[in-house]
Amino acid sequence: MAEILKKYKWMGPIIQKMDRDTKKVFMKSFRMRDKNFFPEGDYKADVKNLVNCMLCPNMCRFDCGTLQASQKETMSPAYKARIGYYLTIGKIDYNDSEFVNLMYKCTNEENCKVWCPFGFSVVSLLETVRDDINAKGYMPDYCKEQVKKLKDSNTIEGYNIFETYKENGIENIETDGNDDVFYYLGCESMKFPEVIKANMNILKKAGIKFSTNLDSKVCCGGPLFNIRDLTTAKDFAEKNKSLIESTGAKIIVSDCPGCVLTLTKRYEGLGIKIDKKIIHIVEYIKKLLDEGKIKPTKNISDDLKKVTIHDPCLIARNMEDTSSIRDILGKIPGLELVEPRFNKEDVHCCGWSGTAHWVDRDLAIKEASIRVSELKDTGAEVFVSACPLCELGLAYGLKEDEKEKIKIKDVSELLIKVL
Amino acid sequence: MKFDEFELIYKNDHKEIKNKAKSESKLAEILGKQNVSTEPIDIFAYTKDSTLIAFNWTLQGKIASLPDIITWPETVEQISEILKYANKEKIPVIPYAEGSGVVGGALAIRGGIILDMKKFNKVIEINDKDLTVTAQTGINGMNLERFLNDKGYTTGHIPQSLYTSSLGGWIAHRAAGQFSTKYGKIEDIVMGMEIVLPQGDIINFKPIARASTGPQFDKLFIGGEGTLGIVTKATLKIWPYPEKRTLISYAFPTFEDSLEATRQILRQQIYPAVMRIYDADETFRHFGHLEKAKDKVMVVFVCEGIGRLVDLEEQITKETCEKNNGIECGEEPVEHWFETRFKVTDTSSTPTFQMVFDTIEIGFLWDKAADMYHSVIETTKKVKGIVMITAHVSHFYPNGVGFYFTFAGVPPKEKTDLEFYQEVWDTVIKTVEDCGGSFGHHHGVGINRSKWMPVEWGKSFDTLKSIKKLLDPNNILNPGKIYENPWEERGEN
Repeated sequence: MAEILKKYKWMGPIIQKMDRDTKKVFMKSFRMRDKNFFPEGDYKADVKNLVNCMLCPNMCRFDCGTLQASQKETMSPAYKARIGYYLTIGKIDYNDSEFVNLMYKCTNEENCKVWCPFGFSVVSLLETVRDDINAKGYMPDYCKEQVKKLKDSNTIEGYNIFETYKENGIENIETDGNDDVFYYLGCESMKFPEVIKANMNILKKAGIKFSTNLDSKVCCGGPLFNIRDLTTAKDFAEKNKSLIESTGAKIIVSDCPGCVLTLTKRYEGLGIKIDKKIIHIVEYIKKLLDEGKIKPTKNISDDLKKVTIHDPCLIARNMEDTSSIRDILGKIPGLELVEPRFNKEDVHCCGWSGTAHWVDRDLAIKEASIRVSELKDTGAEVFVSACPLCELGLAYGLKEDEKEKIKIKDVSELLIKVL
Repeated sequence: MKFDEFELIYKNDHKEIKNKAKSESKLAEILGKQNVSTEPIDIFAYTKDSTLIAFNWTLQGKIASLPDIITWPETVEQISEILKYANKEKIPVIPYAEGSGVVGGALAIRGGIILDMKKFNKVIEINDKDLTVTAQTGINGMNLERFLNDKGYTTGHIPQSLYTSSLGGWIAHRAAGQFSTKYGKIEDIVMGMEIVLPQGDIINFKPIARASTGPQFDKLFIGGEGTLGIVTKATLKIWPYPEKRTLISYAFPTFEDSLEATRQILRQQIYPAVMRIYDADETFRHFGHLEKAKDKVMVVFVCEGIGRLVDLEEQITKETCEKNNGIECGEEPVEHWFETRFKVTDTSSTPTFQMVFDTIEIGFLWDKAADMYHSVIETTKKVKGIVMITAHVSHFYPNGVGFYFTFAGVPPKEKTDLEFYQEVWDTVIKTVEDCGGSFGHHHGVGINRSKWMPVEWGKSFDTLKSIKKLLDPNNILNPGKIYENPWEERGEN
């Protein structure tokens, strides 16, 4: 209220000049504002900001990944907020599955936050609507399926993907409780064995004592935060806290930005704090290079010479680190980096973050293909990133005839080749 | 989903199209199934535009209009086929892009087919020597501008709705950007167009710097508001991105002083890209934190372009302001304007206080501009329930100006929101017309101004109606606006 009074200080003289009848109606509307439009009720939805968003003329629309991918008003941010508000106040029924589904058609990239006059992201509002969807028993099947997979297999894949390390030739290093570093692998990272091998070799070359604990490794629970099953998420947080603390490591490095976000800010939101330095591996590798613990000695091969970069949105916008990847690439002899449009904190999404790819796979693929075409515009045929989901998404965005020509690489895969 | 749950505002002339399934199936043949929808989730998304009173309605659970079918064409030929089919079946077709219109232009008040132009979003060509860009008209304004900026150009067309509007919307509504004193309005910027006429014919006006080839027919379609044709492609002037930008501001003792200073600047052929005069009330609202602006009229200027010219513009602008009693206020007020010009938080907060507010922009020649301003303020203050009527002068030309009035009010008990809103609109426009001005500067006619078309146009309105009838004999393109008076057929609020 104090904030409103300060903002509308200029209204003071106007209110004073109002005639008696007008003043009476105005003051009543002022007093009744919350009751009329933000009534207390059995919901968790952030109604005030849903209203702020739905009554905005869509100031972020031009940078909303799902809207740009679909080119349909249905996907506009303010419309999503409008539906969220109407679901909350009972104007639209939760049985209307298409309206509920819209609450999940977001790729969590948070480009909207950059342009929002209020400073929030749309997904942060949609998550509060999802809380109510779950509480009222309307969790969509595609979310239930993810929860089931996580409960059954401890990973997002429906089987324990960490066990595949054996068949993929990935070394597992079990902790002796006295590690310098714990290398925390993401579920999706397991789909990229060469990236894991590269990261492990980099750590070994730098003489770092580390472990991976793949026999007892579980998902960070990140998808549960998108689904808003926070009870199950808490179970995963407890498991991970205990696993991480058992290693004795002070520094936790992960190859997945989603895992870093979950292990830190998201767990803290549940009241679970892991008292370790938890960072993305690019930040750590950059430090190893700066300290001279690893030294590039060879030139990069010709086929990997000209590269462009896809900044993972979580690293660029959430962790506010756009320099580590570039610093690493900058130290690879012979490498030419061509920056794409929409780079660093302005990056456009790979399509594979958030919940959109579960509810509308075609939409996510379309978003990925838009990003692929922006990267292709650089003329580079090697796309470098540092996130398994981005690398997965970009691969989905490639057309059939591009798959052989374009290489999607993790920054570690390039670095290890010159060490 | 039951649309009955949502009160329909423009309901009196709304008709659901007959045999919707047949039309949907025919449109799917033209566009492919993926580009046609009658699903409630899609229909509901097109029930409003950005008319400010529509935000009140949204909050109150009401919808402005209710289309029957949504389409997303991808080629000009598909648009042509849709229009041919719509003519055959006499179904209204309403062009839509970013939905940022503020006078109801994109509302399907008679139901029908929404033709969403968003997929026409490509930049086709930049020609550096000609200084032109050719683009499809569904492209979002910011996406076009930042594409050009990356290549070292600008259109100079930077409306407050840049993030939320489309090239097609600018052309349809004869829009203006905030930098228009230097770069012109959209009718000065558009050089060529591809248009689908109401009966499906595709015509082209080739881009040309100037010509003597008969009447300037292309201008008819700039400001046509989707009633005379659908502009699908346009070639625009572009400029090298300015190398220097200078920010200037002055506070004046009176509104008349500020008008005189700006008029004299233009008379010397000095064209700052941005010039904005805030009346005393708006100065208090936007610059209340500045001691120098207390009880004054603030004017901000942005000069941009080649450094040496900008320096000269700055010098003459400052001299002229000082000659007219201006007090220099430095860069801060202009920086404040840059920082806040896209902060549209009031659209979200005002409706929750059950206030009705809007902006009305009008055009006026210099001679009696100050008198007109005072008349509008005085007459509008007399409307019962009005609590605020202020203005800034937003657009400047050697021969006249564009005023931008902002009003807010609390509808009295005996009036609905819409009735109160209409009364204020009618009061402002009647006063402007009585004073000899033009009822609109850059938002267009839409629903809100249609009833005043005969007054604004006089006898020439009959000619315009004849042209409409010739081009669109079945009245299928965006019906109910411009040539008719939708506020007479309004529903109860």
